[in-house]
Amino acid sequence: MLVNLSWLANLPVSMMPQEWRKFVNHEVKVTAHDNQQHEGWVFTVDPVSASVVLVAFQEKGGACVKVVLGHAVREVQVLREGDEEMEKKLKSLFTPAGSQSFSAKELKERKESLRSWLEKNLIPVTDEGDVLRVANVLTISAPYGAEQCISSNEIILARVQSLVDSNPGQKDQK
Amino acid sequence: MKTPVSVLRLPRGPEPNSRGFDPNSPRYIALCPTTIPASQGNKADSVNLEEEQQLRSELRECFLRSLIAMTDKQVQFNLYEKVQVQAKFGASDIDVLNFQVSDLQTPLGVQKEALLRCQDMISYSFHL
Repeated sequence: MLVNLSWLANLPVSMMPQEWRKFVNHEVKVTAHDNQQHEGWVFTVDPVSASVVLVAFQEKGGACVKVVLGHAVREVQVLREGDEEMEKKLKSLFTPAGSQSFSAKELKERKESLRSWLEKNLIPVTDEGDVLRVANVLTISAPYGAEQCISSNEIILARVQSLVDSNPGQKDQK
Repeated sequence: MKTPVSVLRLPRGPEPNSRGFDPNSPRYIALCPTTIPASQGNKADSVNLEEEQQLRSELRECFLRSLIAMTDKQVQFNLYEKVQVQAKFGASDIDVLNFQVSDLQTPLGVQKEALLRCQDMISYSFHL
């Protein structure tokens, strides 16, 4: 028995990731199966469930997040195009409090600052691009804090970690 | 103050010996058709596939972050038949098929712990 499912091809649910990506960071109007319409800036579209995550900014500074489940989406219409600033604004909403992101330039400065501090303390350290290698037994990856020290030698690990923490040139945020 | 209603039953969890994610399980095939056809394009280039995978991981990471932001917050769920319920969001499963919630406010009372089926939902919203 054959069932014609070709109408499914027009649903956002059967789109490809490239098409979903076109909605991200833009303001859209989503029509759901109950004929309700939801407007907001698209933060993401879940590739597993095709759910659309919309953000509506409020005057008092907070934000209301509304997610329309993939199977309930009837139509998505782009209202306004967003820019890089909107992308940053959306991303910052969902970055957990306390975590920090550094730019490439800041990472380079942090790495340099740590490397010179270690050398000042007579610790053999080499710069291997993204990581610092200490005495061949310990590596420090971005963003070059005590938490990023990796080594199988406990004694060296403890010593280097306390040095990293006491770096006067670096104000580390926890 | 609504009186709590006793929990009836929770369904079986995923297999303890596997990663809990089986693309051949009848449940996944019946309910998650979206991720299966997309990658089975007509002789998809390996480059295209890589690009597609990269996009998928970016989109999925953002979605997971939105789920994390929702944890322990009061969420309003809009279900079919114009039903609206509120609850504190706990967790979701990998396929976004079930949400574990606490203190679910229903017309019958407050369910201390409950599992909401995502198939029953149209949308949900919360404040950041």
